[in-house]
Amino acid sequence: MSALDLPLREQAAQIAAGDIDPGELLDSCLARIEERNPDLNAVVATFPEESRRMLEQAPAGPLRGVPVVIKDEWALPWRAETVGAASVPGVKLEPGESGPYRALRDAGAVIAGVANMHELGSGSTGNASVYGAAHNPWDLERCPGGSSSGPAAAVAGGIVAGAVGADGLGSIRYPAAYCGLTGLKPTFGRSAMEGHHIANTETIVSGPLCRDAADCRLLASALFGEDLAAAEASGLRIGVIRDPFWSDTAPGVREACETALESLRAEVDGEVIEVELPDLDLVLPASVLIAQAEEAAHLTPKNLNALSPELTVINRGVLKLRALLPGSLTARGYRVRAKARQDLAELFDGIDLLAWPTVPAVAPPLTEPVIELPSGVESADAGNARQGVIANLTGVPGVSVPVGLDGGMPAALQLLATWGADALLLDAAEALERATDREFVELRPAAIA
Amino acid sequence: MEAESAFQSYLGGALDTFGIEADETERAVMTGVWAIYEPGMTRLRDADLDGIEHEMNADLSKPPAR
Repeated sequence: MSALDLPLREQAAQIAAGDIDPGELLDSCLARIEERNPDLNAVVATFPEESRRMLEQAPAGPLRGVPVVIKDEWALPWRAETVGAASVPGVKLEPGESGPYRALRDAGAVIAGVANMHELGSGSTGNASVYGAAHNPWDLERCPGGSSSGPAAAVAGGIVAGAVGADGLGSIRYPAAYCGLTGLKPTFGRSAMEGHHIANTETIVSGPLCRDAADCRLLASALFGEDLAAAEASGLRIGVIRDPFWSDTAPGVREACETALESLRAEVDGEVIEVELPDLDLVLPASVLIAQAEEAAHLTPKNLNALSPELTVINRGVLKLRALLPGSLTARGYRVRAKARQDLAELFDGIDLLAWPTVPAVAPPLTEPVIELPSGVESADAGNARQGVIANLTGVPGVSVPVGLDGGMPAALQLLATWGADALLLDAAEALERATDREFVELRPAAIA
Repeated sequence: MEAESAFQSYLGGALDTFGIEADETERAVMTGVWAIYEPGMTRLRDADLDGIEHEMNADLSKPPAR
């Protein structure tokens, strides 16, 4: 087994102990990109000289010498982000020291490459990018999830053990679910965000995608700039909102998540409590409107009439539609947000976690990203967003944990916690891993097993 | 030939009003995306949100003041 296949924390520990040469580890990572990326299209840029320079200058931090990839949503000193697009309307993207870059550098990590993403971060499937779609290592014809498609494909494909993504409307949790990884959407504002091209965002956060919760804890600690201490999860009260999060889910996914939920409950000697949250049907439109408004200042006729023809027609149409949506609806969206935050805060007075399937169905085909649910056939984007956006609308943290397979593709359980309880989520995720003898975090796609 | 929907009527006028150019394919995308958005937007438009206070200086990293 290559050292590259070790967990992130084990790579870091063995480098610190002198048992792994970080230069050789970086070389093997770059070689693996050469070997696997033609199939995965997970990595869209490498820069061996800059990576080796990072390694030479790496401080003795918790990730010293460990190779990672970073989503194409963050500037590096030697490369501007492109957000998976030919251009971003009205925004000039330039190289620079983004917050996640600084966090990784200061922790001693080595950025081995920039990872692909769904064009403009506007989709949950990852099937559109100026670089071409990334591919799901579990089935190259299926979506890797988005918008952090490349980070997920790179970790699941064994190119790196950890990647930094961004989650604006679920964009870390969906690809983590599709690719059988653990992905943490931090509490809003806790993780490094400086230099993001949407400077006024109240929905987007950076966060880790790794093979398990312990690695997510290590990478998240670097992004947070503070240690996320582990603790024994015990006596957790797990809230479950059945409709629509569980009821309108593909049977195989629901079954895997039900089994995992019971395993978690037993492991932590906790209880499962049926709960409700009012006005859930307003959360999705409110989230979409607020997220769109964050970048709407650039949607002028001048910029919209000069959209690059290299942008997908979907995004050209969506961007123009955004400019026409009534501001009154967005204003009502902010009222929904205020209410949702109050309702959620009250709910978390009586429970520690909320749990439901991260995505309602496993990764669909790249060429036809639709899913079949009890309520009918619908776009994967619509189904996924329904499950994920409340965390972004309200600011609470969420984690996606692999819990089984449905038709050979990963299924995942999502856990949400109150504001600031990111460490608790990872404690619960680790408890779930223990309860299942780490079966699902140790699974690897057949192509790379 | 299908009759123009209310949204398509709005779309044509709004694009002209704001000076935004869109070809037929883009208009078809906008119409299709709106069809997905419309039920939620209608619910949001019609929801009784009276009495809900705007959250002043919301800090999304923390729970709301109660």
